Amino acid sequence: MKKFWILIKYEWLNFRADKGLLILVTLTLLAGLYGIYYGTTEVQRQQQNIAGLEKLTEHNVEELKAKYPEGTDAGDIGYYHSTFAVHHPDSWASLALGQRDVNPYYIKLRLLNLQSQLYDTENINPQKVLAGNFDLSFVLVYLFPLLIIGLCFNILSIEKEQGTLPLLLSQPISLPLIVGAKLTFRMLVVLGLGLLLSILAMIWGKVLPDGRVALWLGVVVLYCLFWFAVAFLVAALQKNSAFNAVTLLGVWLLLTIVIPALLNVYVSIKQPVPQALALTIQQREVVHGGWDKPKRETMDKFFALYPQWRDTTEIKERFVWRWYYAFHHLGDVAVQDLATQYKQTLLARHELVQKLNVLSVPVNVQGIFNAMAGSDLPSYVQFLQSATRYHDRLREFYYPFLFRQITFTHADFAREPRHSFASAPDMKSATAGLLKLLVSVGIVFGAGLLLFRWKTASVK
Amino acid sequence: MEFALEARQLKKQYQDKLALKGLNLQIEPGEIFCLLGQNGAGKSTTINLFLGFITPTSGAAYINGLEVATNQLKVKEYLAYIPENVMLYPNLTGLENLTLFSSLAGFDYSPESLMQYLIEAGLPSEAATRKVGAYSKGMRQKVGIAIAVAKHARVLLLDEPTSGLDPKASNEFSDLLLKLSGQGTAIFMATHDIFRAKEVGTRVGIMREGELVDVLSTTDLNANELENLYLNYMHA
Repeated sequence: MKKFWILIKYEWLNFRADKGLLILVTLTLLAGLYGIYYGTTEVQRQQQNIAGLEKLTEHNVEELKAKYPEGTDAGDIGYYHSTFAVHHPDSWASLALGQRDVNPYYIKLRLLNLQSQLYDTENINPQKVLAGNFDLSFVLVYLFPLLIIGLCFNILSIEKEQGTLPLLLSQPISLPLIVGAKLTFRMLVVLGLGLLLSILAMIWGKVLPDGRVALWLGVVVLYCLFWFAVAFLVAALQKNSAFNAVTLLGVWLLLTIVIPALLNVYVSIKQPVPQALALTIQQREVVHGGWDKPKRETMDKFFALYPQWRDTTEIKERFVWRWYYAFHHLGDVAVQDLATQYKQTLLARHELVQKLNVLSVPVNVQGIFNAMAGSDLPSYVQFLQSATRYHDRLREFYYPFLFRQITFTHADFAREPRHSFASAPDMKSATAGLLKLLVSVGIVFGAGLLLFRWKTASVK
Repeated sequence: MEFALEARQLKKQYQDKLALKGLNLQIEPGEIFCLLGQNGAGKSTTINLFLGFITPTSGAAYINGLEVATNQLKVKEYLAYIPENVMLYPNLTGLENLTLFSSLAGFDYSPESLMQYLIEAGLPSEAATRKVGAYSKGMRQKVGIAIAVAKHARVLLLDEPTSGLDPKASNEFSDLLLKLSGQGTAIFMATHDIFRAKEVGTRVGIMREGELVDVLSTTDLNANELENLYLNYMHA
């Protein structure tokens, strides 16, 4: 044990004197700090925007109050008044932004048909999405492996190449002890850095300090161990440094780029991206057709769904709001199956990726981080469902005004329901991912150990 | 009696070549055995077998009565090794390198006494605190000697240890070997230097194509006779 610590100490002395390694570690540290800054500012920006929406709604209410000083038909309000369904980020989202940049985090809603409003929020910059998020999870999942590769690619081969191995092995120490000490030292450096950045990000992002602290740190440790295991497996092949470097970079490329790309292609074929187009067209046809249909037919269909309004007066006018909103709602009802199918296909796609992510540990780990931070696809789908329920509540709030023909007064604005949805972590997916990660680490380390024992080491 | 170094029917077969053809050899404590032979005669193979760096095809090597192949770690407490080309950690100083290797050997010397070992090995004291990356081959060789001496081993395995040393340093090294042998260290040295072999050696062995063809006591003949004998074997 004493010799183990002697080796560690001299690894440190060697490391300290190696400018290249110091630069590598510093760059990773800076990338991590930038990742934390990027994540927290992005989440702050989203929170500010969400807070701004509240002002926008208030502003809109003030305008309407000025426009209709005496109150008016609720139909006018329903048409001109907009409110927002908002998706608040979880406190952990700054560590793993996930799909929060691609999927809208707020939806502007009016009393009109829902389906045409759910998907027409275009608030992403395609150029930014192309580059992806530079948050902490990106640094940990994609850049940390490069740091580990940089530190470990020549862990054993350098001792042969600089000729120090014969002299080392002429001392009463074994090769496994040497490799073990060198690996341990590098683990201390990398894990120290990874845990430091993670804790910094948690403090900076003011995360809710729940069980996820341990889970996140555990995943960081295991994921780093996975890459150390890969480096160890390659070192056990007893090849030269150049071979090791190329092999390790190849593995990195395969796991972080090639397999995810292939997975994407496979999933697209197996579970095609659902097209909201069919839904939009059908819904539009029904709504627009509503103008030309006999009012009696429209209202009968509507009353079948809402029998409580059946006793309202027969519509004789050319235009009346309750009829207008009725055929808007019928537009939604007509595409209900398509809408459900759309959400289910999205989720099925996510499920398929969850199953296939055993093929790439980085994809799995990114999934764990996103699930923990509530920034993955399921939480977006939950937000859509929550927005749908909010729209239902809005309609139910307005219907008495519309059907009983009660004037909408200024005081009624305050009674209008408001929406707020905060994503929740998906701990089930996260723990399932953790289990897979654990198995991956075990398999690769086991393979490395077997190979290391089986392959006789040459001293030169 | 227990030999410091012993080979029994030691054989090493590489895929295409029989590198060592059943070596039998006994070396007593305090003895200096010099092994002569051309490049590729099997000298380094013999030393690597004693170090346990390679495993014998058949037969066994013993150090202090312990079989090397089955006591890899234990035998290394008894032996010290100076390779033909001592390679050290270039980012560390000579002193740090010596500290590393002597502490791995289980010693806990003060910096002053480690410095003393380096100076005795012929390394200028101002060089000891410079990084090894800037050392000449001879300077590295001297650090290698200090590492071996500081280990106080019972067996010293030397693979052309004086290559790269100037004549003065070589001469001092010979004196050092004689001193160590006087303290009971068994020394096994592969060398090309027939004259130095005659000068310091107790016995000289001549190796050709993996075979120890002759073993002579250095008291029996002078350097010229030894050289002639050696050349005879090589031409045969």
